[in-house]
Amino acid sequence: MAVATRPSPIAWLLAPAALVFVLFFVLPFGVMAVMSVYSSNPVTNPNAILTTRYYERFALDTAGIFHDALWATLRIGFITTVVSLLIGYPLAHWMARMQSRLGHALVLMAVIAPMLTGIVVRTFAWMTILQDKGVINTLLIDWGVISKPLPLMYNEFGTVVALVHIYVPFMVLTLTGVIGRIDERLEQAARNLGAGRLRAFVEVTLPLSLPGILAGSLLVFALSISAYVTPSLMGGTDVLTLPMLIAQQVGTSFNPNFAAALGVILLAVSLVIVVAYNRILARLSGEQGLA
Amino acid sequence: MSAPRNRQPFDIGRAAYLAVNGLMLFFLLVPIAIVLVFALNPTPYISFPPVGVSLRWFQKFFAGADFMNALTLSLWVAACVLVLSVLIGGACALALARGHLPGRAFLTAFFMSPLMLPAILTGLALFQAYLLAGIGRPVWGLIMAHTLVAVPYVIRTTLAVLHNFDRRIEEAAAVLGAGPVRVFFEVTLPLIRPGVFAGGVFAFIVSFDQFPVSLFLVVPKGETLPVVLFNYMKFDLDGAIAAASMVSILLALSVVLVLERLIGLKAYVKL
Repeated sequence: MAVATRPSPIAWLLAPAALVFVLFFVLPFGVMAVMSVYSSNPVTNPNAILTTRYYERFALDTAGIFHDALWATLRIGFITTVVSLLIGYPLAHWMARMQSRLGHALVLMAVIAPMLTGIVVRTFAWMTILQDKGVINTLLIDWGVISKPLPLMYNEFGTVVALVHIYVPFMVLTLTGVIGRIDERLEQAARNLGAGRLRAFVEVTLPLSLPGILAGSLLVFALSISAYVTPSLMGGTDVLTLPMLIAQQVGTSFNPNFAAALGVILLAVSLVIVVAYNRILARLSGEQGLA
Repeated sequence: MSAPRNRQPFDIGRAAYLAVNGLMLFFLLVPIAIVLVFALNPTPYISFPPVGVSLRWFQKFFAGADFMNALTLSLWVAACVLVLSVLIGGACALALARGHLPGRAFLTAFFMSPLMLPAILTGLALFQAYLLAGIGRPVWGLIMAHTLVAVPYVIRTTLAVLHNFDRRIEEAAAVLGAGPVRVFFEVTLPLIRPGVFAGGVFAFIVSFDQFPVSLFLVVPKGETLPVVLFNYMKFDLDGAIAAASMVSILLALSVVLVLERLIGLKAYVKL
């Protein structure tokens, strides 16, 4: 392959995708950044001026809701990530170590099936389970465990439960790949040398799966801080997150410029996570290449 | 590979491990099963346990003009997105794998980036761009937005197939006298077809279930099914939503199966 350095005619097949991505991806994000520093629509309004007022409005937060919304977004994202990791890890471990091919395929299907169901549908499912007259409260009252329904929904608890259900498959799939690449004989060697099963896991498998834990956690965190449907339906009036704030500014307040500034802030947070995620993945594939 | 495990009559650690994982599968699957229960339960509000079986919610869903318009729009948009993203993404993957392009790793990461950025921001950015361009919120704008987030799936599945197949098959065809165009249409294209169509299935589902990208790009009376369901759920929580959910789950599933039957299997047979 002597001419491998020069682009071949096949490279032109990139053109349609490049055109679509420039027009409908790069340009719009540029427009959003520009809109965030204008007082109003600079095309239709000749009086629109350059301003940092929308960023100031967020930073100064005289209304006392914007910082709370940012913290609520990050807090919900963090709790969702930790819970997804705690309940996703055993399942990923089980899948990665399963001997039977059929069993593996069945569990994989069970993990992927929820992903094929839309976010709105899955949020609806959780509303029917957690509301005051929902499945859990009805059963507990019928069995005489409680007399009044537990507040399972319209708060952060319900939001986190539904978000975990929606995003835990991403955690499981990321972890399964990483745990599956760890040589099982390492753990067996530790056990032959006298370590108990728990100790062999904690001192051998767990540290080796750390890159997967990080990659899966960053993925789930990035997904859950940008969630809109679930917090707005499950959170009721109790929960206000950054994406909900953005939707308010577009829908009810019709202030697209402030929405753009909020968008840029959320984008900045996501980009930090994406860069970290890519670093970890690059390191993971590097290690795989060495093996 | 692994040494046989020494079996003990009852292993409490192993039992706990299996119990935890069983619970986890229960947690993953029960919500979907519950949707079916409520779709068939005739009571006017969501209530548990179910008292009977009826199709009244399916009737309400299929008789409702709002639901039907939304379903038609969603199907139309998803079909357009399927075709567009297969063409654009398939071509892009070929160029990435076979084009000897400089900066290939960067370009691949770039075309994958709509998957990494919050979808709600992609919708917001497009909303701002359409607003500035003064074009309103046309259906083609929604289709292009969905295509943008669907193309990475097609690129990913096509690249996977391209990486796996033997380049020497193409080289052999060329040596035997086939021109580059003929090699492309008679060797490369049939070989990558399973990957491209798997990506197309993903593209259809991504578009049909899409909410965050659509949120800011739909007009009143011209909303896609997930947006209509979301707005309905804010005020009413009855079996119609469950019926609509079942319909969309079954539709997504049947598209997967039909495509697999029609194109997937045939493509494999031709191999």
